[in-house]
Amino acid sequence: MELNGVMTKQELIDHIKAHFPGPLEMIETKQPEPYFIVRPEDLVAFARFIHDDPQLQMNFLMSLAGVDTGQRCEVVYNVCSYPLKHRLLFKILLPRDNAEFDSVLSVWPAANWYEREVWELYGMNVRNHPNLTRFLLTDDWDEGNPMRKGWTGTDFITLPDRG
Amino acid sequence: MGIIKKLPVYAEHVPGGGLVVTSINSVLTMSQAKSLWYLLFGTACCAIELMATGASRYDFDRLGMIFRASPRQADLMIVAGTITKKMAPRVKRLYDQMAQPRYVLAMGGCAIGGGPFYYDSYSVLKGIDLVIPVDVYVPGCPPRPEALLQGCLEVGKKIRTLKLDEWS
Amino acid sequence: MAEQLRTEEMILNMGPHHPSTHGVCRLILTLDGEVIKNCVPVVGYLHRAIEKMVENRTYAQCIPLMDRFEYVTSMSCDWAFCLAAEKLTEITVPERAEYLRVIMAELNRIASHLVFMGVTAMDLGALTPFLYGFREREMIMDLFEMTCGQRLTYNYIRIGGVSKDIPPEFIGQCRHFLDIFPGKIKDYEKLLLKNPIWIARNRGIGIITEQMAYDYAISGPNARASGVNFDLRKDDPYSIYNRFEFDIPVLNGCDCYDRYIVRLEEMRQAARIIRQALDQLPGGEIRAKVPLKFKPEIGELYSRIENSRGEMGVYLVSDGSTKPFRLRARGGSYNHLQAIPDIVRGLKIADMVAIFASLDIIMPEIDR
Repeated sequence: MELNGVMTKQELIDHIKAHFPGPLEMIETKQPEPYFIVRPEDLVAFARFIHDDPQLQMNFLMSLAGVDTGQRCEVVYNVCSYPLKHRLLFKILLPRDNAEFDSVLSVWPAANWYEREVWELYGMNVRNHPNLTRFLLTDDWDEGNPMRKGWTGTDFITLPDRG
Repeated sequence: MGIIKKLPVYAEHVPGGGLVVTSINSVLTMSQAKSLWYLLFGTACCAIELMATGASRYDFDRLGMIFRASPRQADLMIVAGTITKKMAPRVKRLYDQMAQPRYVLAMGGCAIGGGPFYYDSYSVLKGIDLVIPVDVYVPGCPPRPEALLQGCLEVGKKIRTLKLDEWS
Repeated sequence: MAEQLRTEEMILNMGPHHPSTHGVCRLILTLDGEVIKNCVPVVGYLHRAIEKMVENRTYAQCIPLMDRFEYVTSMSCDWAFCLAAEKLTEITVPERAEYLRVIMAELNRIASHLVFMGVTAMDLGALTPFLYGFREREMIMDLFEMTCGQRLTYNYIRIGGVSKDIPPEFIGQCRHFLDIFPGKIKDYEKLLLKNPIWIARNRGIGIITEQMAYDYAISGPNARASGVNFDLRKDDPYSIYNRFEFDIPVLNGCDCYDRYIVRLEEMRQAARIIRQALDQLPGGEIRAKVPLKFKPEIGELYSRIENSRGEMGVYLVSDGSTKPFRLRARGGSYNHLQAIPDIVRGLKIADMVAIFASLDIIMPEIDR
């Protein structure tokens, strides 16, 4: 179904590509929101651009998720605009070992705990975050990053596959 | 003598009133079983059913049970909800703070043995009886209020079988 | 004597076991007398690793887990997950199933707001609304039990439709409930809203400004009490909500008092939606044809619905197999609890209790 946004999907894509200086990759999907891949070093600039631009005004960070695909790590951002009601999905691609990215707290303060959780469960370092401490796991957790693919630990029993 | 065979309670009319003969054991255990005060300890979904059992339709108060917020004033701890490894030391500390005689009722699948979170979870404690001793288990996910009421009556039945020197 | 009085700050620990933190939340308060200087929430006491478990379950096996993600409104949680899976495969849900989903979700919204009303009033010392609210909630539980057999975690909304059709006595009993319910809402309003103690403890307490609502991504009734006119049922409509007429209550007070009133008014509007849905309910199938080993296409998407606590979103990544590759479920309480240190600074501990209750925070949305 189409969104109630002020701009259609194609207008959004054209506007962002025309006004953002850095390189962007756009992926075609059947979903009603645009899908961009941004370089990790352009992350904060892109976030600031879509937040401040008067025709975009993306001020609502809906979700920030870390994904481990097995070959690389990704951080996926879903944003939407309260007044103009359109949506956007963008992500950054990182290597699996020693992944690091910048914090977008200066643009959306709601990203605080989302980034802390990505640090804790995936092991990706977040630069410029004020408080990277234990969040969901026990205080003396020392068994690695549980959400990585292929992780096992003590007392971790997997459901047997019955086909 | 006829009176001793009729214990725990023997009652008869005598001129001027009545006579009731009983043992201290049965008075103490019966009064405790009829008036269990439970600790309001709910972590997850079973806590909502615990609240519904204490509300208007299935009333806990008619069994003499009322909730207390502090473990020092409670006899019964109803562990309702999933207990994670982060929460387990706090549960043990609450249990230690309760005054004896104290009883524990494990409500719901998660408190009995991990419940639906047994497989593939790295942070759920698989059963509360790994940490504290449990008296009665009430299965269900979540158990119906009638099941919880029966569980509390079973705790009362268990109390009445105890002797004075077995309280712990 | 005065120079021997020590007036340094005290650190007070509230929780994780505390009667007024809803669920297991620990708050470390730094106090100067009774005034709160800083508040640090510590969470994770209910972290059950649902997101890890989901990666080893088929799509149908995930639905009971999503029930337990937010158990007070578990119909909506099932619906969010099923919406995401259906959008990836472009399944068309039959009409009767759409209407049944709307009826069940709105009944669940009323039940959740009744729990909120009871528990909020109980935290501030009023025990009667709790008993009144749960009495009506039992009537809704009877309706759910008649349909799917469960009182709390339903597993009713499945991919492609719903699992069982409603029995014939459902409609009559539901209409009876809708007939008596508006009178009961008037009773709830008469109980508390003009009470001077209630007004003193809630008016002007816990201000969330409109800018704070944007910054912290606060959604749902908490944002609508701060003047943000945003409801996903009207602004990003999913399913068949564009066929019903209903209003969205928006107030400007930004305090605890208005958050309470917004939820009472939402119950009225939910009853209105259910009445229209019962009038328009068509016959037909209740579930589309879905293969036993359900495999959506490769892709990722984010789908969201309006839960009673805010926006409930599901970010789903599928790699074409029978199990989800990554599921990130997001509830409204995650953002609301982040905003608590800013709301509470400078107020007293008793106000902290009122604010925490009025934000309607449920811990498993945060910990998963």
